[in-house]
Amino acid sequence: MSSQRETARGFPARFNIPGTRVLALVLATAVVAYLAWKIGQSPPQALQFAFNGIAVGAVYALLAMGFTLVYSTVWFFDLYYGAAAALGAYGVFYLRTATALGSRADVNNVYVNAVFAAVVGGVVAWVLYTLLHPRLRGRFTPNTIGVASGLLGGGAGAYTGIVLAFPENLHLTLSPAIGVVVAAAAIVVPFWAVQTFVPNIRLSRFTAIAGLPAVVIGAWCGYLTAGAPGAGLYLSWAVSCLLAGCVGLALYRGLYMYMRERARSPLIMLVASLGILLAVAAFIVIVFEAAPRPLPTAFGSETWKIAGARIKGFNIFAIGVALAGFAILWLLLKQTSFGRAVRAIGDDEEVSKVVGINTTVIIAGVFFIGAMYAALAGILTGHDTAVQPRMGLLLLLKGWIASVVGGIGNLYGAIVGGFVLGVVEQFGIWDLAGEWKDAIAFVLLILFLSFWPQGLLPRR
Amino acid sequence: MTSSRSGQTDYVLQTEAISKHFGAVRAVDELTLAIPRQGTTSIVGPNGSGKSTLVNLLSGVLPLDGGMVIIDGAGLRVVKAHETPDHGLTRTFQEVRLFDQITVWDNIMVVLTERRLFPALFERARPATRQKARDILEQVGMWDKRDSLAQDLSYGQRKLVEIGRALAMNVNTYLMDEPFAGLFPQMIERVKAIMKQMRTDGHTIVFISHNMEIVRELSDRIIVLDSGALLAAGEVEPVLNSEEVIEAYLGA
Amino acid sequence: MPVDMQRIRELPALVRNPREMARHARSNVELWANILVIGGAIAFMLWQGAGFAVIVGTVFAIWAILSVSLNLVVGFTGLLSVGHIGFFGVGAYTMAILTSSPEYEQLRTEAIPTFGWPFFAALPVCALLAGLAAIIVGIVFNRFRDDIFVLVSFGFAIISFNVFLNWRAVTRGAFGIHEIARPEIGDWRFDGDVEFLLLCLAFLAVVMLISWFVVSSSFGRVLTAIREDEQAIEVFGYQATHYKLAVWVISAMMAGIAGGLFSSWTTFIDPNSFILLESVLLVAIVILGGLATIWGSLLGAMAFVLLEEGMRFIPFLPTEYIGQARQVVLGILLVLLMLFRPQGLVGRYRL
Ligand SMILES: Nc1ncnc2c1ncn2[C@@H]1O[C@H](COP(=O)(O)OP(=O)(O)OP(=O)(O)O)[C@@H](O)[C@H]1O
Ligand SMILES: [Mg+2]
Repeated sequence: MSSQRETARGFPARFNIPGTRVLALVLATAVVAYLAWKIGQSPPQALQFAFNGIAVGAVYALLAMGFTLVYSTVWFFDLYYGAAAALGAYGVFYLRTATALGSRADVNNVYVNAVFAAVVGGVVAWVLYTLLHPRLRGRFTPNTIGVASGLLGGGAGAYTGIVLAFPENLHLTLSPAIGVVVAAAAIVVPFWAVQTFVPNIRLSRFTAIAGLPAVVIGAWCGYLTAGAPGAGLYLSWAVSCLLAGCVGLALYRGLYMYMRERARSPLIMLVASLGILLAVAAFIVIVFEAAPRPLPTAFGSETWKIAGARIKGFNIFAIGVALAGFAILWLLLKQTSFGRAVRAIGDDEEVSKVVGINTTVIIAGVFFIGAMYAALAGILTGHDTAVQPRMGLLLLLKGWIASVVGGIGNLYGAIVGGFVLGVVEQFGIWDLAGEWKDAIAFVLLILFLSFWPQGLLPRR
Repeated sequence: MTSSRSGQTDYVLQTEAISKHFGAVRAVDELTLAIPRQGTTSIVGPNGSGKSTLVNLLSGVLPLDGGMVIIDGAGLRVVKAHETPDHGLTRTFQEVRLFDQITVWDNIMVVLTERRLFPALFERARPATRQKARDILEQVGMWDKRDSLAQDLSYGQRKLVEIGRALAMNVNTYLMDEPFAGLFPQMIERVKAIMKQMRTDGHTIVFISHNMEIVRELSDRIIVLDSGALLAAGEVEPVLNSEEVIEAYLGA
Repeated sequence: MPVDMQRIRELPALVRNPREMARHARSNVELWANILVIGGAIAFMLWQGAGFAVIVGTVFAIWAILSVSLNLVVGFTGLLSVGHIGFFGVGAYTMAILTSSPEYEQLRTEAIPTFGWPFFAALPVCALLAGLAAIIVGIVFNRFRDDIFVLVSFGFAIISFNVFLNWRAVTRGAFGIHEIARPEIGDWRFDGDVEFLLLCLAFLAVVMLISWFVVSSSFGRVLTAIREDEQAIEVFGYQATHYKLAVWVISAMMAGIAGGLFSSWTTFIDPNSFILLESVLLVAIVILGGLATIWGSLLGAMAFVLLEEGMRFIPFLPTEYIGQARQVVLGILLVLLMLFRPQGLVGRYRL
């Protein structure tokens, strides 16, 4: 594989028949003019559509960001991405159904818990091993490091099993973990801040100073969580995002990695991930039901009236999540060495390997983050409407379309494309029934691929 | 055969200020050249000087950014790949592009059969076509391998099959992108023999090579490219001995 | 049977050398796949009796027509289309509307146009309309390849589903169309299941024959070349877009026939028969059976139907989960195939 970009060769050149471009422009102008006229007719309704569009656009933007991150690194369409969205949403359903929906006795299933616990255990063990091995190589034998990470991973798996087994007590079972995470953050974040002023300070020395207060803060946060049963819903978001991310990482490390070494074409990867999507979707139907189910109501379910249009507080929250997600990804990709490595791998994987980037670890991280974004989008959709097993594929396709519209491989393109897709969809159904939404999205996709295959903001 | 029109012009291929840019890279830059009818012309130039891009432009594999290609007297601003055989032109690829997952036999047969859609649907291989395919495979020495998939051949064998595929087209002009690169000396001799035969049969050959011995041996004329522009063209020895060419090759 | 002492003596060495063993096994996969699937089918028929086998046979025949036709596009031309179900749906709805009887439709509140045609008059129209849809879709899709083609073909499946669901004036949306006529010639109605099975098998044979005719011609050879390298084949004077469009339309017309048969067989259709998932399953069948072989598609369809029927007899599996369990198995099979056998069981083309 001489050039990575070869794999994206399915992208067509622009239509070069002159008439069609003019026609497309004329048609587009006509549609825009018609919409403008309609907006003039009833501004409040237009505002309503715009609100709705931006609200769904936020979800699409989240999806597109994760999707474009994964796609522009490994250059194949990973359909597990859709399954991750469904897993995220159903994870919340799974964890909250007992208290919020009147329990179905068999929902908390031992086998399902065991599967997820094993996945998390494996992922944690691998991550620990790859992180510790280069640092501790001098002091311990690889076997020792392996066994130690294996034990820690096993512990993490067992802990996950416990968390999943008592979903109604998430606030209790998760409080130690939260305490530890907060304590660690309370050391590392100030450390970074101090490092900018005192460049040669050592982490161990800093810990000696800041360790005690950090532990106190961590313990206090853990204590607060343990005393707040209402936090369960939001904790379940975190848990299911993590689970979806771990499954994504495990898939990459356990399957895609080997497959990519042998695969002649990105289609092999696509079909394999199609198989995974099929299996996961059916698995979800088996564990839950095929029918759509509501998630427990989150905050912000009351509607606000702004200039004659109504919008739910939760939708505004979703928009905030999308923007925050964008900010985090932007920091990660543009400001850190991780981001530079991702970029290098996307440009040419072979060369990055040669210059010493640990491609396995970086790509695994990309899959983890991508799946987390998908899961988050799935959760937001689930709260906004309902969860259903088919949602994965539809969300995947929407994320796909949004990233093509925005310009595949471009982070800014992803967020722009998401909002554009959402708004276009909503304005598209002004004169049509709401069920035509998906068709409109695909018509938009085909128009873009035909006339602007680079998208709104091309990569580079 | 288009040779009936050969009275029209002395040049089988001409370009007028053709360009091709890849982003900031000017792979071919306002290039004007002419390749006379019959005989063998070689194109040489350092790596990345735009030789392959030129061939791709001439054969319609890449769209022109500007300028005009004149094939056999017909001026074209847009070269359509599927029309190049009608202009008496065919080519081989530098990176050997066979149809990998079909047999060597089918690789040859596919260029011998009907082009039009409906007749193709009702056409089975005729004995005459089979005989022709067989002749060609024997000529390039690949008859024994006719039943293996193209992807299972070695690089040199693939190169030979590709040359056979171009031969099967039986047209006026052959553009060959580095037909000798990566071949075992014996194979080189075989390809040389084939090309000499083609030349005596009155075909026009344009080939790219980095091997100056072969260039000297085979070609009647030479074209030297550098950074997408014409550096020199004409008889082989004077051009190769001229100072600017030596400088471009050694000083680059 | 004479005992091959040489083979037996080689056995221990073979067992000790996993790579050698894998090679042996691989060379026999095709044989074993054939034996397993056909043997399974025969065993199933013997076990369940003719009556049941007839119904399953009809399902098989319709899936087989679909997968043979899709293989022309996926296996021979290399366009991984996930939208084939759309053409199937066009055929099915055409049949349903053309044959629906005015007397019955008058009783319904939401009326759809009725024609009251006989089955055999409507069937060619099914193929024609599916072909017409394919021409329009094909002209737009012709420019896309590889991943992007997959994406837009997803889009076609979703758009066609939307049309079936929302164009209520013609399809009656989610309520579906009932009382679709069974075929009849003069006085002889194809009422019984056996007659219908024979009819489907006959059409399957015709479709296979046409497919064979197409792929064994010069046209078919050009298709495989397009699959391998579209740009290269253009240089040799073929206009790849025309060829792709032609095979796309041929394949869609076959799917239209399958749709006509399907709606006449079930006598009731609604949009849920034409969801994207069915299309994905169809692709899985084609890949499982084998790319670029007609026989493989048959084998794939047979394996698919057997998988479902076989699962009825897994003791702990509740019946409502059979479809899902099959889907899980198919998904895992797809992953394994992509890992170890990207051409499918008896395929001639690796993705
Ligand atoms: N598809 C492409 N995309 C981007 N740049 C390209 C592409 N094809 C060629 N180039 C660039 O155009 C320039 C000319 O390339 P070309 O392949 O024509 O050179 P060449 O003379 O054939 O070299 P060589 O002797 O190595 O084959 C090079 O700088 C190359 O990087
Ligand atoms: Mg070159």
